[in-house]
Parts: sequence; C-alpha cells; structure tokens
Amino acid sequence: MFLFFQQWRAECLKLLARKRTYLGFGAFFALEAAVLALVHIKGATHFKTLITRQGQVFDEYYSAPTLALILLMASVFLLGGIYMTLVSGDIVAKENEDGHMRMLLARPISRFRLLLVKYLTCVAYTVLLVQFIAWSAFLMGLAVTGWGGGFFAFVPELGIAAFYDWQTGMGKYIAASISLSLSMITVTSIGFMLSCMPIKPAAATIGALSYMLIDFILRNMGFMEDYKHLLFTHHMQAAGRVLAEEPAWPVIIRSFSVLGAMNLTFFLIGFGIFDSRDLKS
Amino acid sequence: MALLEIQHLTKQWKAGKLALDDVGFSVQAGEIVGLLGHNGAGKSTVMGIMLGMVHPDKGQVNIGGYSVQTQRAAALRQIGAIYEAAAFYDYLTGWQNLKALCSLSGYWDEAEARRIVKLVQLHDRIDAKTGTYSHGMRQRLALAQALLPQPKCLLLDEPTDGLDPEGITEFREFILRLRDEFGMTILLNSHLLGEVEQMCDRCVILREGKKVYEGIVPGRGENKVRFQLTSPDLQEGRVVCARLELKMDREGIVELPPPMEGHTVLRALVEGNVRVESWQPHKQSLEELYLGLRRR
Repeated sequence: MFLFFQQWRAECLKLLARKRTYLGFGAFFALEAAVLALVHIKGATHFKTLITRQGQVFDEYYSAPTLALILLMASVFLLGGIYMTLVSGDIVAKENEDGHMRMLLARPISRFRLLLVKYLTCVAYTVLLVQFIAWSAFLMGLAVTGWGGGFFAFVPELGIAAFYDWQTGMGKYIAASISLSLSMITVTSIGFMLSCMPIKPAAATIGALSYMLIDFILRNMGFMEDYKHLLFTHHMQAAGRVLAEEPAWPVIIRSFSVLGAMNLTFFLIGFGIFDSRDLKS
Repeated sequence: MALLEIQHLTKQWKAGKLALDDVGFSVQAGEIVGLLGHNGAGKSTVMGIMLGMVHPDKGQVNIGGYSVQTQRAAALRQIGAIYEAAAFYDYLTGWQNLKALCSLSGYWDEAEARRIVKLVQLHDRIDAKTGTYSHGMRQRLALAQALLPQPKCLLLDEPTDGLDPEGITEFREFILRLRDEFGMTILLNSHLLGEVEQMCDRCVILREGKKVYEGIVPGRGENKVRFQLTSPDLQEGRVVCARLELKMDREGIVELPPPMEGHTVLRALVEGNVRVESWQPHKQSLEELYLGLRRR
C-alpha cells in the first residue's frame, strides 16, 4: 500500500511539474476575475430582479457564496471539461507518444497498477481543479461583497431557487462543490479511456470533448426525454440537486451510482485496450 | 546457470509479417551476449517481449526463473533496461527523473543513487533539467536509471546509437567494468558488429526473424583451428579435403577438428597436386561470420 502511494505521489508530482497543468487554473482565475469585475462595474441588476422577485432582500443574499455558485455552475462543465479532457487525454497517449511509457514499463510494475496510478492522478486533478474554481470564486466574491449574508442557491434547469442563512448556505455550497468534483470525474474517465487507445493525445482530448458535448446536446433535446437516464450529463445534474431545500437523495444516490459505474467501466475498457497493446515504436 | 532463457518466441505483426520465428537462446550469469541482426531482424521485438511490452504469439521468456509473461513484476525486478531511445521528462531534472522512475520499482536509496550518478559521471549536471542534456548525457542517465534497482542483469537496446566516438568508447569501457567489477550479466542489442566484437563473449544473430547463429564471438576464447588455402586449384583442394572428411568453403577456409594439424592437410594437398600459393591459419572475424551467414 505504501508503495502504491509512493507511486501515486510521483505521478502527481510529474503532473504538477508540467506547465500545461496550470492552464486550467489560470483560465478560470481570469474568467472569475473578469465576471466579477463586470458585476462590480455594471451592477448586479439581474441578481436584484431574481432575488427581489422571490420576496427576499437583495443586500442580504447578494453574497460571496451566491456569486461563487453562479460562476461555478456556469463554467465548470464546459470550460472545466476542456482542461480535464486535456489532462486525461494526455496522461497515457502523450506518454506513449513521447516514449516515456517504454521507460516506465521497463520497471517491475504491472500495466494495471500503472494505469490505476495514472487514473487516480487524473481524478485528483479533477477534484483539485473544481475545488480551486469553487474557492477562488468564493474568495473573489468575498472581495466584492464582504463576509456574511445569506446564500441564494439558483439552478434554473433543476427548478431550484432556495434561500439559506450563512451557515446553512456554506454547508450547501461545500456539498455542491464536492458533488460537482465527483460528477466531473466521469468527463475525466472518458478522456482517460480514449487516452489508452492507440491514438494521438489530441484525438483522445477531442474525442472526449465530443462525447461530452454530444451527450449534453442530446440531453437538451426534447425527443431524448424518455432516454435521458442513458446520458451521463443527466446524472451529473445530481451535483446541483444537493442545493435543494429538501434534496431528493434517492435520485442523487442513483445518479452517483450510475456515474461511479460508468467511471469503472471507462477505466476497465481503457485498461483492457492498453493491456492488449504491443508497446513498440 | 541461465539467467535469461528465451524459449520459442514467435511473433507476427498485424500486417502479416513474421517478426520472430521460433527464436530461442539463453544467457548465463556473468556473460555479455550480443544480439545482432540487420534493421528489422527482430532484435527490438525480442527485447520488447523480454520486458513484457510486446506480447508473443508463442513462447516465453524467463528471467532468473520467473516468467515475464506470467510473473512480470518478479521477473523485471532482476533487470535494468534501456529499451529503444531513452525518453525522459524534459521539464524535470535528471535527479527528479531518476526518483520518479525508481518509485515505480519501489526502490530508492539516495546514497546509492548518488553513487550511481557519479559512476556514470553525471553528478555535476544531475540537478539540471533533462531538456538541456546532450544525447550522451541522456544515455548516461538512462544507464543510471537502469542500474538503480541494483539489477543482476542489464538489457541494453542499441545503447550507443547517436553517441560520438568518445562517447562510444566511454560507454564500452563502462559496460566492461560493470561485468568485471560487479559480475553483471548483460544482453546487448546492436547492429554494430565492432561493438559486439569488442564487448561480448557470445552472440546471437537474427536474420528476418530467425536465429541463424548462437555461439562464441569469433576470436573470443575459441579453440577451433581454421586454415585458409590460397590456390588457383580450389576445386581440387576441396576434393582432397573431402577425402579427409573436411569441408572447405568458397573462400578456401577449412576448419580442422582436433587433433588434426595444418601440416597434415598441407601434405595431402601437395600430394594431391594442388598448387598451393599459401596455407595459413585463419582467424574469423565477426564480420566474416555475419556476412557468411547472410550469404547462406
């Protein structure tokens, strides 16, 4: 077990030593800064309308978690998906293309263990990136609105518009950020599976993004209503459901179970393909 | 005792070409064995199978009694390898690369790592990023990583490719030192005959996926006696040799079984009216052996 953690640590350090790993962090930081600057300069009339329409006091709910949640929900899936598939699409395919895989597999480590270490590194990156987005957005929100106030949880596609006090709101915000991290692992898993195939890293990234976007487009088409349970982006919505005043736990648990099963399937398919490959230039 | 046993390896690529056809040989502990062949002969495929990177269609490889195909980790714990071009993470330093690679083996001894880095003469650049390394330095780092699990055996796949003459000489001396001082077993894959001739005790020659020779590198501890006849009557010479149950090749070279001596054959040639211009001991070079096998 200690050896496994040692190997995982080395893989994480390798990932963190690469400049492109930080592209995602930089892009989100820039996006958050730009959006909050615009809100600050242009005024928050849109929020004001939304909050006051519900019969609540705007100043109370125009707070750091409210602003952070809007940024988080709007940007993580599309922009985050790009960076997650970039990292997971590279993790095996790029190493194979560059010849690193031959150096690694000349060592007494099984292909399964090596892939598991790499997969868990992608998972760690995904969680880290979503948490970075969540907390950097929160800190920027604090800079604009200051400490305290309520939390307005607004997820229109799920019909959620709930008002919480600071303490409950922070609990909900933390739960949402964790759920979002977990749900995004499926995007990473698709990139990882494709990365294990004998294709270029860019093809793995584009393939994973295409899968994600096709799934997302289908989810938003009326005729897929009866089949939406087959779409992973439908189950990813479970992340937003935890923000409801009374979350539908059976639905949330079912969705996360489906996502977990998909992650396992994508990993095993990736492993099966990689294990059968001959690694020779 | 055979440290490496390669048994009946057969591999066919998807295009239908038979890359290896029932190849088998063994390497004894403490030996340096050269794996020779033209480009595409199947040398790297053998290496790939030995490291578990290529799946054979038939056959298996045992390292120190462990099968690479069924007990990969245990088998690979016995060896260090440079397989194809050494590829490092250019954004990491040499030291970080070594650490990352060694973590996969579950082996990291800082003092030992420092010793090996000094041994390969990379100690003054080990903290620089490998992106700034020359080809020779990368090869030395590759050798350091191969030596770091303290292996019993080294598998080197064309290790001097791209090195300058000084680099090749240094590398050769280093490999010989490893065997002489540490008793290391080495399998060297190369297409450079001179390299194998100077470093290896035995060699295995592959041609179009088939083993065509396994034996002592000519001129190395060989006790075979060969003579070469120069004469306008080579055909008559062949007839005389056949009477003595000897075989003369196209170049007039005859291998004498012990205890037969050269003057016995010379007398028979002269008595058989063969015009002998010269009859002298012949030392076969690896190049002659290799080219001779190619002509067959």
